[in-house]
Amino acid sequence: MPLLAYIDPGSGSMLVQVVLAGILAVPFFFRRTIGDGWRRMRGNGSNDTTRDEDTPAKP
Amino acid sequence: MARTTPPATRTPPPSLDGAEVDPASFRDPAGFVFRRDGILYRQIQPPAAPDWAAFQSSGLYERLVADALLVEHADVSPSEAARPDAVAVIRPRVLELISYPYEWCFTQLQEAALLTLDLQARALDSGMRLRDASAYNVQFEAGRPIFIDSLSFEVAPETEPWPAYRQFCEHFLAPLALMAHRDARCGVMLRDFIDGVPLDLAAALLPWRTRLNVGMSAHVHLHARAQRRAAAGADPTKGAGRAPRISATGQRALLDSLRRTVAGLRVQPGGHWADYATTTSYSDAATASKGEIVRSMLVLARGRTVWDLGANTGMYSAIATQAGYRVVAFDQDASSVEAHWRHVRGVRNPAILPLVLDLTNPSPSLGWGLRERRSFLERGEPDALMALALIHHLAIGNNVPLDAIADLFARIAPRAIVEFVPKEDPMTQRLLAARPDIFANYTIDGFRDAFGPRFRTVRESSIANSPRTLFLLERR
Repeated sequence: MPLLAYIDPGSGSMLVQVVLAGILAVPFFFRRTIGDGWRRMRGNGSNDTTRDEDTPAKP
Repeated sequence: MARTTPPATRTPPPSLDGAEVDPASFRDPAGFVFRRDGILYRQIQPPAAPDWAAFQSSGLYERLVADALLVEHADVSPSEAARPDAVAVIRPRVLELISYPYEWCFTQLQEAALLTLDLQARALDSGMRLRDASAYNVQFEAGRPIFIDSLSFEVAPETEPWPAYRQFCEHFLAPLALMAHRDARCGVMLRDFIDGVPLDLAAALLPWRTRLNVGMSAHVHLHARAQRRAAAGADPTKGAGRAPRISATGQRALLDSLRRTVAGLRVQPGGHWADYATTTSYSDAATASKGEIVRSMLVLARGRTVWDLGANTGMYSAIATQAGYRVVAFDQDASSVEAHWRHVRGVRNPAILPLVLDLTNPSPSLGWGLRERRSFLERGEPDALMALALIHHLAIGNNVPLDAIADLFARIAPRAIVEFVPKEDPMTQRLLAARPDIFANYTIDGFRDAFGPRFRTVRESSIANSPRTLFLLERR
């Protein structure tokens, strides 16, 4: 833990991330690769997978 | 709460030369917020020096400010510091009104959650991360959420689990899930649980079917179980020195899953108040007359800010913005505030901030020493208040004497636009229908007598085609 982790991350919360990251990484990786490939095929170069239509609007 | 109490060695020394440290700014050794001569400053302390330097040089600050996601600040001389050994002192831009998560409707809390995740994703892109995921780090301004804690960014390897994951789930995901899957009124739970809804409680209250949703099942139910198991079998020596590791892809996948889970939640619109504006008793002529009188009284009051108490879905808040006011529109009904917020977002009216507030039991002072979160009456003073179609709900619906209402209004604002709704009005009749009339003083003369000691009447106008009267009052 870095010196400045002033909130208690919770050992259960840290461990559950290890489990979930392992499980979720697989579909995420494929979605991103396939999604990127699909977008590239359609000529849309964006590889931004962290946002979708639900993100608060930018001005 | 034990988990957020800083070690005793971090107890701040007394402040210097008139600087007053913000009572909410004590948890984080990285820095604190203070005021001097009415100006707001943030002091960055030595433990945060490397993170602050990295944040400055990464260009993240400029990008976030350019996208209006983070409140901007000016660098000031370290000689402005409130205590010795400051690494830096900044002067953040001050927002007009600080609101708290228990005053937000579902969509506002959801937007604040998505902003937090967006900032975490952008921080990861710059080799940093958010040190915390507190809902109190987000405020609403000009119709959108904005992050106010510029000291929340730290340098971290992407392979380390996010220390703020638990806080994010408790401050955002758990209350949002309860509002979406149980009842939109669950948002007020954040008033008791000011550090977020405990996940075991959320898991117990949520319907069983939420276990069938991947995100809910992972981030709430499994997460709560993992916390319980860790607490039960806690052996502080076991696992020491073995810091948990995740892959960079796993880090992004978790964030993406949180995003999808939060964005996938929806509240059921409805509630009896949201329909109220369309089912009111008065005619179109009376509505037009009332709108015109309110507009002229707002102009006469010559202010810039108004609090619309009992705003419902904001018909008169909109009129106030047309008269050049910025409006905070309070209503006790979460569904009305939800409808109002969606409307404000739809028409892009940045001058209105709808918030949930029950005037008969407004937000109290909360937290450590009762000074951490300020009460409704300690959030600054608007130039005027509007109380339209409200008096009968307070006086008859809630048995508050008229002079007590006058007292409260005088504490809120120097000018008040108040609508008196007499007993013969159909809406008051509806409130009296099932109970004996014990309100002998509830007459227009009783109103004048009760408000007289506190307010001078600037103008009194009857609404056409209606028994109601509007008053423009000025505090004595």
